Amino acid sequence: MNTFMLLLPETILLVFAFALLALDLIWKPRSNTLAIIMLTGALVTLAATIFVWMQANNGVIQLAVISTDGAGAVPMLAMDRFAMFFKVYAALTVALVGLLATDYVREKIRYPGEFYALMLFAGLALMLVASSTNLVMIFLAFEFLSITSYLLTGFMRNDAFSIEAALKYFLYGAVASAVMLLGFSLIYGATGSLDLHGIATGIRSSDPSIIHVLAIPAIVLIIVGLGFKIALVPFHQWSPEAYQGAPTPVTAFLSVGPKASGFALMVRVLTVAFPAFARTANTDWVLILTGIAIITMTFGNVVAIWQKNIKRLFAYSSIAQAGYMLIGVIAIAPQFVGGVPPIEGWDQGLNGLLLFLFGYLFTNLGSFAIILAVENKTGSSSVEQFNGLVKRAPYLSIAFVIFLLSLIGIPPTAGFIGKLLVFGAAIKQQMYVLAAIGLFNSVISVYYYLGIARKMFFSPAEDTTPIPVSRSLNFVVTISMVLVLAIAIGAQPFLDWVSGSTQILATVF
Amino acid sequence: MEKLFALTPYIPLFPLLAFALIVLWANKNNKLSAGLAIAGLGLSTIISWLIAIATIVGGEHVQVEGWSLTIPWLPTGTGVFNMGFAVDGFTAAMLFMVPFVSSLIFIYASEYMEGDSRYARFFAYVSLFVSGMLTLVVADNLLLLFIAWEIMGLCSYLLIGFWFEKDSAKKAGLKAFLTTRVGDVLFFGGMLLLYSQTGTLTFREIFTPAVLERLAEATIWGQPASVVISLLIFGGAVGKSAQFPLHVWLPDAMEGPTPVSAMIHAATMVSAGVYLVARMLPLFAVVPVGSLQWVAIIGAITAFFGATIGIAQNDIKRVLAYSTISQLGYMMIGLGLGGFLAGIFHLLTHSFFKALLFLGSGSVIHAMEHGAHHAHDHETDPQDMMNMGGLANRMKKTYIAYMAGTLALVGIVPFAGFFSKDEILAEAWHQAGGFNFGSIAFWAWLAGLLGAFVTALYMGRQIGLVFLGKPRTKLAEHAVEPGKRMTYPLLVLGFFALTLGFINIPKNVPIIGNGWLHEFAGLIYESTEVLNLEALPLNWGLAGVATIIGLAGFFGGIALYRGHQAGQSDPMVKLLGRPLFTLLKNKYYVDEFYFAVIINPVVKLANFAGKFDYDWVINPIVNFVGNTGKWLSIVSGEFDRVVVDGLGVLGTARFFRWMGKELRYTQTGQVQNYLLVIALVSLSLVGAYLFGLGF
Repeated sequence: MNTFMLLLPETILLVFAFALLALDLIWKPRSNTLAIIMLTGALVTLAATIFVWMQANNGVIQLAVISTDGAGAVPMLAMDRFAMFFKVYAALTVALVGLLATDYVREKIRYPGEFYALMLFAGLALMLVASSTNLVMIFLAFEFLSITSYLLTGFMRNDAFSIEAALKYFLYGAVASAVMLLGFSLIYGATGSLDLHGIATGIRSSDPSIIHVLAIPAIVLIIVGLGFKIALVPFHQWSPEAYQGAPTPVTAFLSVGPKASGFALMVRVLTVAFPAFARTANTDWVLILTGIAIITMTFGNVVAIWQKNIKRLFAYSSIAQAGYMLIGVIAIAPQFVGGVPPIEGWDQGLNGLLLFLFGYLFTNLGSFAIILAVENKTGSSSVEQFNGLVKRAPYLSIAFVIFLLSLIGIPPTAGFIGKLLVFGAAIKQQMYVLAAIGLFNSVISVYYYLGIARKMFFSPAEDTTPIPVSRSLNFVVTISMVLVLAIAIGAQPFLDWVSGSTQILATVF
Repeated sequence: MEKLFALTPYIPLFPLLAFALIVLWANKNNKLSAGLAIAGLGLSTIISWLIAIATIVGGEHVQVEGWSLTIPWLPTGTGVFNMGFAVDGFTAAMLFMVPFVSSLIFIYASEYMEGDSRYARFFAYVSLFVSGMLTLVVADNLLLLFIAWEIMGLCSYLLIGFWFEKDSAKKAGLKAFLTTRVGDVLFFGGMLLLYSQTGTLTFREIFTPAVLERLAEATIWGQPASVVISLLIFGGAVGKSAQFPLHVWLPDAMEGPTPVSAMIHAATMVSAGVYLVARMLPLFAVVPVGSLQWVAIIGAITAFFGATIGIAQNDIKRVLAYSTISQLGYMMIGLGLGGFLAGIFHLLTHSFFKALLFLGSGSVIHAMEHGAHHAHDHETDPQDMMNMGGLANRMKKTYIAYMAGTLALVGIVPFAGFFSKDEILAEAWHQAGGFNFGSIAFWAWLAGLLGAFVTALYMGRQIGLVFLGKPRTKLAEHAVEPGKRMTYPLLVLGFFALTLGFINIPKNVPIIGNGWLHEFAGLIYESTEVLNLEALPLNWGLAGVATIIGLAGFFGGIALYRGHQAGQSDPMVKLLGRPLFTLLKNKYYVDEFYFAVIINPVVKLANFAGKFDYDWVINPIVNFVGNTGKWLSIVSGEFDRVVVDGLGVLGTARFFRWMGKELRYTQTGQVQNYLLVIALVSLSLVGAYLFGLGF
């Protein structure tokens, strides 16, 4: 496979994005036409991604650029199965969010061409982040993703909330990026390498007393930057505002896309570049992440209880969910002690994280499709709108209950399998306190998740007219529901897939 | 031709399908339901006949070795339990009879049941019933046979109690179910023992010489295993085929609609018991003096006593019911004396002519009910023969058909019953070897011969009372022949009642002797010391005696009753004397005996146990435990409410709600604050690490 073929998904996204911009400029087609083009692009990308994924064997294929300083080829992108998992994820995200956005865009967005093009660009950014193995490339891809996200968040130019959200998001993001960049520069200074493998080698071959002074702050600062992307407490504060202010399809995108990217990068950077620091005294990124996971879960769940706006509620819910997912990252760490090759079962937490993310993709997008249907009809995203929903839209209500159960983590839903693997991995690593806190938080979350279900089924509706559901939303809801159940009921093929995707990380060092 | 055998599993399938379709879909449409039932069974009949023909023309290879299909069904610890289907000559003979007779009954019922509010349900039940019987016939192992057997048990319960508004029908259904259940339990026990001894329930595997020998040598409770097992299995047959002492349910089963009576008495239910014994006969015959003689003894008792009860009954269907019991006794005599073919030959012929008689009686009842309707008389019992008379003139076709059935039952040359009954009596006579008073076979022969006389007598009585003489009531005066769907099946059955005996005329009869049935169905097992599979020649003397006795009884009965007038006392009273007649009329008080010895004590015991439970011991204990639990739960409830809920659950919940409420305020909406947080957190984390503060 040549380089072009490896980059086929990215290329397709790029072509379609530019085509959308050009078409919009020249012919001003109707919103639906643009939506169809965008969806076609997304689906072709998905197909291409799966094609490349099938081609990529379990080795590493590095894409490199020729360095100007004569150092030879510098690896930039890794086309491995781990990256391919997140590319499939990205293509699915773009396709589903695009589908879910069609009605909303038709009704509310003035420049649909740009909107859809930005969606594709965002998808491209997601893919690039997943592949990046060089700090420069990582930073560029990350900024690309951030900037498209800012633009999408503030796309409702006449809506003060949207503008405000975008501005806050941008300011916060800029600072977070700056912090992360500082971390990058520190690590470059310490090891003289921008490549993740090079950094690991550099750390191993350096004097520990010196390297620690530079590497430890670097790790902390990088985690801050990633924490922003994932919306981990206490770097989450942009998210409730951005989620609430952004156009709802964008909220849906933010809740799954950048979050997954952040995790992809976190896993890659921490395991590839800093395995040596996983569990050494006082330089323990596991400890930082553990603390962050605990406050993230607890804070997200506790504050979610009080939210009156469903989008804001889902912002806190997604914060809490990220906290659970983080346990999966933590659970792999102890296996990395001193750079020894990992032992059997090291990847359970990581597999759990990937499967958790994959289930969460469908759970959250399905939920947002329902939120959108309600919002399109009522014009409001208040939680009160869900009162008596079962009489207005019985199918949506039942589907929503399934999604909520998945968010709580009750079988037979994808959320259950994700939590099972992640918490199971923590218990296997004897992180009983962490697992217990995770479980305890799941109990807290029942309160507000099932609160929505209670409103749908038992509270009387003020308005009992049926809620019309467009075919595209219905499709998203149905396919999400099917997958949420399928991942739980027929878990094995999905498990095989994710564990096939994570093996590459074991061979890295 | 042999490829046809692959269709065997479909034989029971079509009626089952009809049952499912009627229950799930067609039940609102009467015509469609009946059509489905008849079509389903019709298809089965066609396949069955094709298979029967294929077996008959297939030669000895197919008839003895047979065809079988085995499906590994249930993995057991040591192997696999096989289920499957099998066809041999005997099966083929059954396949000729069961679906055909049943479909005639279905056609008949489609008219007979008209106007019934549960018409569709009736056809669903009978379809399932026939499906059960057909499964039983083609089963290659005892378990599948038992399943089919139980399906029939259920259907008989449902159908006998079909008119469950009538208390008597409800009770009769229950009685049939419980009584046959006594036999079923024995059968099931026998099956379990058989499986534990041999590890298989497949007929073919059981009947290999090695397995049979093992069964003869092994002992259970000091008896040869084969004897114990076969007697237990015979227990099942006693229940199902209404043999003494479990015969009591059959007369009461008359409470069901008449076509059901015909089904139960001819094509399905009671035949199953005889079929079971015939099928298992090699097991019965392993030990020369063992279980087989008991079959003959029970059969002889049943044949004679069943017949005698018949002469004192006035209900037209009850007479036939006791006749069935008695005729089943004949079959058991035949089988019990090792005459495999004699038993199954009589099973086949009897099915035809008894179906005919029942349907004929249904026709008569139908006509009488019509008369009742016409005369606005709903007090008079339309089933009581004393209320009939002279119906021959009003119902020609029914009369002709009924006469054919009667002559077949009585055993008049050349009707079917003559040949088959004669074969049984010849078998008995042959086994006894003449007037040998020490031989069971002789007494069985005597019982059979006397029974034949009594049979002729009660049938003559019936003909005289029902068809001859003058109408004794308005009902009989206004009786009208029913329509074609009822009369034509009668005529078809009449034809078979006349001719079916010809399929097995002993070979020594000049010109027409053929021994045909014997050749294709009678040789499927090996002959042994007590199991006689050889054809017996016609014993002219015996046949003559039997014919004379039959004619004497028959014409005696007609002569006694043809001039019977309304209000006269039964001539039989004078003939037998009042005490004996009363004894017969009350069926030897067997029901009363059961009530006195079993049912009432059991009810008393149940009452006592109930009292024990409710008033004396168990309930007070339960109440005490319950009350204690109640008090405990009140205490622990309070503990929960105050301590766990108040401080624990609600406290926790309140704490987190409060925490959430307070933490909300961290979201100030001021981006400056947010950036301050990120800066402070980053700095403090880095500082904490760098200066080794740790966490």
